[in-house]
Amino acid sequence: MAREKVGALVILLFSAAYGLLARNIPLSFLSQQEVFTARTMPYGLAVIGIVLAFFILVLPTVDPEGKKSLSETTKGMDWSTAIQLVILMLIFGLIMKWLGFILSSILFLLGGFWVLGERRIKLMLFSALLLVAVLWFIMAFLLGVYLAPGEIFYLLGVL
Amino acid sequence: MWEGMISGMMTGITTTLIPINIAMVLFGCFAGSFIGMMPGLGPITAVALMIPVTYGLDPTTGMVLLSGVYYGAIFGGSTSSILINAPGEAATVATALDGYPLARQGYPGKALAIAAYSSFSGGTIAVILMMFFAPMLAKVATSFQSADYFALMILGLTSVSAFAGRGGVLKALLMVILGLMLATVGTDQTSGIQRFTFGSLELLDGIEFLLLAMATFALTEALSIVLKRDPASDSFKPKMIGFKSLKVTKKEFKFITPSILRSSLLGFFVGVLPGAGATLGSFMSYGMERNLASKKEQEKFGKGSLRGLAAPETGNNAASTGSFVPLLTLGIPGSGTTAVMLGALIAYGIEPGPRMFIERPDVFWGVIMSMYMGNVFLLILNLPLIPYFARLLAIPRNIMVPVILFFSLMGVYLITFNDFDIQMMVYFCVAAMALRLMNFPMAPLLLGFILGGLMEDNLRRSLMIYDDSISFMWERPITLTINLITVFILTLPLTRSFLSSLRKKS
Repeated sequence: MAREKVGALVILLFSAAYGLLARNIPLSFLSQQEVFTARTMPYGLAVIGIVLAFFILVLPTVDPEGKKSLSETTKGMDWSTAIQLVILMLIFGLIMKWLGFILSSILFLLGGFWVLGERRIKLMLFSALLLVAVLWFIMAFLLGVYLAPGEIFYLLGVL
Repeated sequence: MWEGMISGMMTGITTTLIPINIAMVLFGCFAGSFIGMMPGLGPITAVALMIPVTYGLDPTTGMVLLSGVYYGAIFGGSTSSILINAPGEAATVATALDGYPLARQGYPGKALAIAAYSSFSGGTIAVILMMFFAPMLAKVATSFQSADYFALMILGLTSVSAFAGRGGVLKALLMVILGLMLATVGTDQTSGIQRFTFGSLELLDGIEFLLLAMATFALTEALSIVLKRDPASDSFKPKMIGFKSLKVTKKEFKFITPSILRSSLLGFFVGVLPGAGATLGSFMSYGMERNLASKKEQEKFGKGSLRGLAAPETGNNAASTGSFVPLLTLGIPGSGTTAVMLGALIAYGIEPGPRMFIERPDVFWGVIMSMYMGNVFLLILNLPLIPYFARLLAIPRNIMVPVILFFSLMGVYLITFNDFDIQMMVYFCVAAMALRLMNFPMAPLLLGFILGGLMEDNLRRSLMIYDDSISFMWERPITLTINLITVFILTLPLTRSFLSSLRKKS
């Protein structure tokens, strides 16, 4: 199946789900009497989305790039590294509150360098520490933004 | 008219000559060149990455900085195109056609210098044209009402799709709709009703525009570099360039001057069209020069022709400047990058459109006049720095990619201070990556998202004025004219394919 057809199918399902969810948008008694309510635009968009996605699905694919199948396009791609980076970003979002800006940023950068195959420890440490220190200096001293330390420091009684 | 223009120019000059604004033009050009030069990173990413820096600044200073980043990134993109045949984005692909062969023939310095002079000329000529056309268009647009704005937004959104290329119109339109859908998340501004928030407090204010821009461009572009990784090109080692090699002879200048003049004009007017942008400007300029060249010269195209390098480089810079005309006068972005800048303007609390010309002349004229300065800075700053910039291409991707990811995530976190936004960015990045792999463009999505709220407001207001009737679509002459242009643009791809099939048959 051509990759843009797969995309169109996904968006068609998304549009249908979006349209169904639009029915749950609450309306007050007064707004129910109006022609244009908070539901109008979502309903319209869902219908247009379904129609356009349907056209892409049924009409012949003209774009030569879109004709390729997904497996053809993704063949030989470095999925493992990309997935590891996505997981690393999610972990970064989770630990930010607990470890604070400095520690979590350094760990994220070191993890990123490692995932991408960098093994020169000195270069990794130098790059990560320098970047975080510069950003922290700009935010905390030049722009006067308060960067809260991680909650773990309060739990451990360090702060 | 002239009095207004001269007083506007004076406002622009006094605004631009404030030390902080001069510093921001300089910083913007430098940062833009640096980011734009990184393979895989284009001007949209460069502008999105710099928006967090501008949040603490005055709106004029912020816009001046972002404009500098924009044309700096276009210039930077041509450096990586010429030296390593890795265009940062579509607008510099045409530059690589002749720039890279020229560099391989042993003239990388000359190729970069011609690119710098062409960019400067294209940008400067386009700014002069913009000074005349933008105020005229803004004056006409001051009589616009909600109905006209609604029609204009439809025009902007459909134009982006119409220029999407063969087979791309429906996909681009679908992405616009997806962007509009995302814009409905959050509290409805008029009724105060929550839509698609699923009870989450974080979604009450809707999706942060910067979050979506970073997720769909900066993060996905960094991940694309990883996905398509070629172990042999983990770091590029371009040849060292000496200052002497940057010299361009008088004869060569004379040879490329007519191409530069023609491409500046063409590029500017292509850039003014909503949705066309720098890519079309550079390719059309390249095509025009090839058609105009003698048969002997035509054979050199694609093999290192000086005209083949100067034309697209001039065209993309002129078009980049031209794309500011619809942004500043109508509040309709002319390209993906100006769509991001429109989002920044809204975030600064400025209502984009013709009122900006009257209410915020400092922003309007400040941006225009800063472009003059930016073009001069790009030439005098970047030309001597080319040899050093070229060395930066040798930064290993192992280091570069995590740094881009880090700055993208921090760019959003340091504005919202909400770790939920980091999670949301990652989810949007994965979804955007999947859509890209399925060959769906991202710029129309962002455009739809940015214009979504304004479009709904204007439609609602128009319906209220016209007693819930959509007759405003044809009753107001301005609205009707805009709608007819929209229909024309929308049917243009169909007409073109119909005509070409007729030609084939005959």
